[in-house]
Amino acid sequence: MHETKAGDMKNGGKIAIVGNPNVGKSVIFGLLTGRYATVSNYPGTTVTLTSGAIKVNGDDISVTDTPGVNTLIPMSEDEVVTRDILLNEVLKLVVQVADAKNLVRGLQISLQLAEMGLPFLLVLNMWDEASSRGIDVNVKKLSETIGITVIPAIGVQRKGIKELREALTEKRYSPIGMFYGNLIEDGIKKLEAILPESKISKRSVALMLLAGDLSLKPWLNNRHVSPTDIEKIDEVRRNLQDKFYEPLGYVVNQARLKKAEKIAEDVLSRQEKGSSGITVSIGRWAMHPVWGIPVLLIALFLMYEFVGVLGAQVLVEILEEGLFGNYINPFMTLLADRFIPDAFFRDLLVGEYGIITMALTYSVAIILPVVGTFFIAFGILEDSGYLPRLAVMVHRIFKLMGLHGKAVLPMVLGLGCDTMATLTARVMETKKERVIVTLLLALGVPCSAQLGVILGMLGGVSLAATFVWAFTVILILFIVGFLSSKILKGEGSDFVFDIPPLRIPVLSNIFFKTFSRIEWYLKEAVPLFIVGTLILFTLHKIRALEVIERIANPIVVGFLGLPAKATEAFLIGFLRRDYGAAGLFALAKDGLLNPNQVVVSLVTITLFVPCVANFLVMIKERGIATALAIVAFIFPFAFLVGGVLNFGFRLLGINL
Amino acid sequence: MMDYHRSRDRFDEDRIDEVLELIWMLREEGESHLDNVKKRSEDPNVSQVLTLAVSEGLISTDHGSISFRPEGEKRAENIIRRHRLAERLLSEVFEIEEKQLEDHACELEHTHVLSEVVVDSICTFLGHPPTCPHGKPIPRGECCRKFSNEMKPLVVPLTELSLGDEARIVFISSKYHARLDRLSSLGIVPGGTLRLHQKQPAYLIRIGETDLALDRELAKEIFVKKMLLS
Repeated sequence: MHETKAGDMKNGGKIAIVGNPNVGKSVIFGLLTGRYATVSNYPGTTVTLTSGAIKVNGDDISVTDTPGVNTLIPMSEDEVVTRDILLNEVLKLVVQVADAKNLVRGLQISLQLAEMGLPFLLVLNMWDEASSRGIDVNVKKLSETIGITVIPAIGVQRKGIKELREALTEKRYSPIGMFYGNLIEDGIKKLEAILPESKISKRSVALMLLAGDLSLKPWLNNRHVSPTDIEKIDEVRRNLQDKFYEPLGYVVNQARLKKAEKIAEDVLSRQEKGSSGITVSIGRWAMHPVWGIPVLLIALFLMYEFVGVLGAQVLVEILEEGLFGNYINPFMTLLADRFIPDAFFRDLLVGEYGIITMALTYSVAIILPVVGTFFIAFGILEDSGYLPRLAVMVHRIFKLMGLHGKAVLPMVLGLGCDTMATLTARVMETKKERVIVTLLLALGVPCSAQLGVILGMLGGVSLAATFVWAFTVILILFIVGFLSSKILKGEGSDFVFDIPPLRIPVLSNIFFKTFSRIEWYLKEAVPLFIVGTLILFTLHKIRALEVIERIANPIVVGFLGLPAKATEAFLIGFLRRDYGAAGLFALAKDGLLNPNQVVVSLVTITLFVPCVANFLVMIKERGIATALAIVAFIFPFAFLVGGVLNFGFRLLGINL
Repeated sequence: MMDYHRSRDRFDEDRIDEVLELIWMLREEGESHLDNVKKRSEDPNVSQVLTLAVSEGLISTDHGSISFRPEGEKRAENIIRRHRLAERLLSEVFEIEEKQLEDHACELEHTHVLSEVVVDSICTFLGHPPTCPHGKPIPRGECCRKFSNEMKPLVVPLTELSLGDEARIVFISSKYHARLDRLSSLGIVPGGTLRLHQKQPAYLIRIGETDLALDRELAKEIFVKKMLLS
């Protein structure tokens, strides 16, 4: 769930991988460079650029993976990222990846690359899926028609990669041209006379401008195009638009589509094959208004059994009580007693707030098994293509929150890691939607580590407690989402989005994904756990912990009805919510929390402030004012909800 | 005195109508700049009319861009509907030349000339045409909704199809520029064929080898002609 920024420049030149969403660009990228970029079976996984190096003829070449685009006239922020690479970078070659079974959509991009005057080659990925649907593409003929190399491939089976590697040394330009009719061609000529030289053809820039691409305005300014010239461009566009009823961008798209269809017609052959098969059926059930619900429940149940029971109970038991409780901690304590004479340093390592006895025990014994099993389950869910179907199922509910089904992607990704999910909020098209998604993620979507710990704790209490917790958190998310959609100004966007076929996940991809996510977890979370422990240790030593506990007493004990020691969990919760949850887990294990208290404390820590990393990403993505406003709202609100729940339990005499 | 005031008010109302109409048409082109409204308006004192419209809560302006308040949008929709239906009526029934069409249609677009009942009658008389003679969409009225429920016309919104139906897309009537672009980039364009798989919880269609999910609001704007199964 981590992505790396576009890396260092390599002297041998640059290659960019582009294509429609969800055609397997990241898989091809991974196979070429040996670097892992997050791969899953839904559009919009790649929102930032990932770069890696590759050797071609002894030269180091940098390869960049880009977010998917449907046209190179961008309509969302992630599409701007891709267009800008083509516009601003000196590219040795563009590798276009297309879905073999959706040739027409791919060719629309090819036509635009040809128009830009960039050297490119075409990879027809998912060849197997096309074949199984009775679709066959005449590769040789296609290659002759568009004048570039075309390579059939099956990314996940590594087929076609060798041919692709060999073709990377070529530099072929497609001679294929487009004619948009006299009127538009005339407009293009007028703009070409004004536009400055750039990395791509003036003709293609002119077309983007005619299509009304506002994101190009700053680029024009940077190229010292004078305000009068910009005004002139606007005027040409307006005059031309007056002659068409439909928006120019649409007219241009239509022309490309027709051409793409014509090319495809000549190279495609089709055999009718019934679309049966178990994956197709399950894929349909998963979106069905009635059958979709049992499918969702089964998915949730399996996930609960795997993460909540196997991960959070069985494996935690083995690691925490067995490995750490019986072996590591006693052994380390023994060693410390023997070799460290100073009580202070002994405590620092193996005391109540020791680095080994607290930080490592929490992170390795409690959270790691949970996170590990969650990552495996989540990886399977992602690769199967179930998530876009979930988006369809929950679309109505999200619509009430001023969002639409697409928002389910960042939200579910938030169950993996809120920090990454906040980045993915870019798939939402309007600012209002992004702010709401960021707020909901920060407020109440528990990340995998936290969720696992929580499920583990609740699993030990009762099913009823689990329901009360889940119901409260979901209700709060819904209410806050609903209210913020009313309060925040701005518009929502349209819900239209493609559903990839349901696929049986490839084990090696799940393995890589889980491995790289666990690696990321260890690198990012463990140091923070140690810092948190050190802070607690220091506060304890200077006796500040007692003071803080006394100050927080009215809230934690009086309002939430929790033992005073729970304050420590909230304190470390400031660093990471999962760490706070682990603190509560330890309290519950020691029998210090009754079932009601477990639920109240878990609801509070679920809604608690986002972790430091998430907060930093919020600042980066939404600006400091929005980020601070969100945290300022969340902090008191979490306690308020916990308190209300506590009083509700008492008032109604509920004992879970 | 009274009469003088009333006619003056009516004069102002007509000027507001003209500006609202202009804003609507600019929106169809994807424009919302205040400057453009001012530039394209024929009213010698357009700023004054705009101020009036803002103060009456019909439109609002923000950073040089202009947008409708709900009441203003409703009113503009009515004006456009009157105007374009009038155009259709004049050109189709009375065969008036295109040059003169515009002037007459402008006369007819005001509330005090054609009442809502009369407009609906014209609409029904013309067979609920979706577009004006120039191909611009006519906002739907109450009568059109009844019509589509009572007797099925050939071209219907996607929402009227039954599950499993195959249909050809005839036109997409969206007042939003970006929406058309987005739909076309996903392959939803006139001439394309689609198959409706599902209506709940969202619309699910298949075009070529792509499954697309879309909101009902969008589905309503996609007009299709059902294909006869051979």
